[in-house]
Amino acid sequence: MIEIAGLSKTFGSGASAFTALKDINVTIQENEFFTLLGPSGCGKTTLLRSIAGFVDPSTGTLTINGEDILSKPPFARPVNTVFQNYALFPHMTVAENIGFGLEMQDRPKAEIKSVVGDMLELVQMTQMADRMTSQISGGQQQRVALARALAPKPEVLLLDEPLSALDFKLRKEMQIELKRLQAETGITFVFVTHDQEEALTMSDRIAVMNAGRILQIGGPKDIYDHPAERFVADFIGDTNFVDGEVKKVAGETAQVQLQSGKVIKARNVAGGATSGPVTVAVRPEHADLSAPGGLIDGTLKNIIYFGTDTHYHVQTDDGSTFVIRRQNQPDAVEAHEVGEKVGVTFNAGVAQILRD
Amino acid sequence: MAKARGFDIRRQNGFVFVALCCFVMLYLPIILLVVYSFNSGSSIAIWEGFSLKWYALAWQNDKVQDATILSLIIACCASFVATSAAVMAALATTRTNKFRGSALVFAMINQPLMIPEIVTAVALLIFFAMIKVYTGYTGLWYLIIAHSAFCIPFAYMPIRARLQGMDLSLEQAAADLYGTPWRVFRKVTLPQLWPGVLAGAMLAFVISLDDVVITEFVKSAGQDTLPTYMLGQIRRVVTPEVNAISTILLAISVALVIAFYKLSQRTDQSTKK
Repeated sequence: MIEIAGLSKTFGSGASAFTALKDINVTIQENEFFTLLGPSGCGKTTLLRSIAGFVDPSTGTLTINGEDILSKPPFARPVNTVFQNYALFPHMTVAENIGFGLEMQDRPKAEIKSVVGDMLELVQMTQMADRMTSQISGGQQQRVALARALAPKPEVLLLDEPLSALDFKLRKEMQIELKRLQAETGITFVFVTHDQEEALTMSDRIAVMNAGRILQIGGPKDIYDHPAERFVADFIGDTNFVDGEVKKVAGETAQVQLQSGKVIKARNVAGGATSGPVTVAVRPEHADLSAPGGLIDGTLKNIIYFGTDTHYHVQTDDGSTFVIRRQNQPDAVEAHEVGEKVGVTFNAGVAQILRD
Repeated sequence: MAKARGFDIRRQNGFVFVALCCFVMLYLPIILLVVYSFNSGSSIAIWEGFSLKWYALAWQNDKVQDATILSLIIACCASFVATSAAVMAALATTRTNKFRGSALVFAMINQPLMIPEIVTAVALLIFFAMIKVYTGYTGLWYLIIAHSAFCIPFAYMPIRARLQGMDLSLEQAAADLYGTPWRVFRKVTLPQLWPGVLAGAMLAFVISLDDVVITEFVKSAGQDTLPTYMLGQIRRVVTPEVNAISTILLAISVALVIAFYKLSQRTDQSTKK
């Protein structure tokens, strides 16, 4: 279990000081696939490197299984890292690379040999054991980097955007591969990525980061269905933002009056405003077109066919654009046309009040 | 049809002429030196026929033998000491966080390149004279220490360049995999650094081997290195023996350069991604 409390990091000092991490608080469970998701420069890599020991946080505590590790140098921490550029040792063979951590721990030769054999098998690289790392492909280097980090059986495996250098098809394969390895080894994975789809498909839980802060932590479904902040809703998936005013609150639901005058039932799980003006988020696939007189009215501006689904862009009467996504059926005839007056509807509870 | 062509310095008027002049200036004297080392006569200006006699004479000359051995001992020791110091200096200036005065340290390491050699020579002469007064020691170590000192910047340059070009994440990966700093250095940094270390050591070796000024000032009586012996010879009678010795020195440095080139090519191939 990794417990991080009040962690922050400021680079430089005075006018040129840059705060990369602001008051990070998070607990990562044993055997969890935990993802740090955010745009580049959001601090996710700095947080990962703080756990590995390559960044020295300015304030805060960091423990692994109750043991403080901030005072320890990188080589004394029970974590291993898969680097973004793999960082394989070019003067060693594949097998020597994988055995390096065990060698540094002074394990017996026979044990190193058997563990390296197991690891080669685990990542399906047994045939390549004696190749130099320059003689194998990018995907194979990725597997070696993974095996090298897993071989000493660390308590936590840190992965720094390990799939970003691979092409699309290989990346999909490695996503499944990583999930399998995590299940087989039972090691806690802390995974850094800027790819929301990667985060949603692989993670047990996701921490969405921006500008050095963690904005929201939750399961993939939780984050997607109930984004707490505008940034989260915008960064993960597509979202329509609609302005309104809170009229009445009852537990986790609230009555919100839209600018059209219609009142909707919205969810307020993340602790948004309980009165006054708010922004609610509605996913395009959760809304549908109707005859004029819906929750929001407007003019159909664009119909875009995507194969699996069709996107309808509605210019609402208050001037913003609302996007609706409809799944396509075979041989269905398009019932709408551009320029038509339409309404937008969505079910009670799909709108999500955002925290500002 | 005239083809549109970009600027090419090789097509400028007089380019070939200037280039040829430079090469002639650089290499004609050396070629003549080599040619006259095979002269059968005793003049360094009048060709009298081919012979290897000056090589044989130089080989049999006890003074040349002694000076050669002394030169090699000093060059080996000095390049070893200078390279070791340069590796440590390069690590300290590339593998640490930026510290106050790091620019000053960099300048101080390279200062021997800038200080006029004659100044260093006089300073060392006086300094060692003081030590001689107190200790009475007149051995070889004065020369080894002096040579080590002025060879450090020459060894430092290629090592530092290599360290700066190396991927820092390799060392981080090694530390991450439980490597203590010393073992990371031995197992990951040094194997990568090796071509730089070799280049530094060879440069220091060659620089030490042909030093005249500092050696002339620091040496005690009877401690002649090859260059100071040759200087002494030229003052008396100049024979093609000096040409022969120079030619051998030339051959050694050319061989070192080629050896280094081959070696670095091989290491580059095995370390290339």
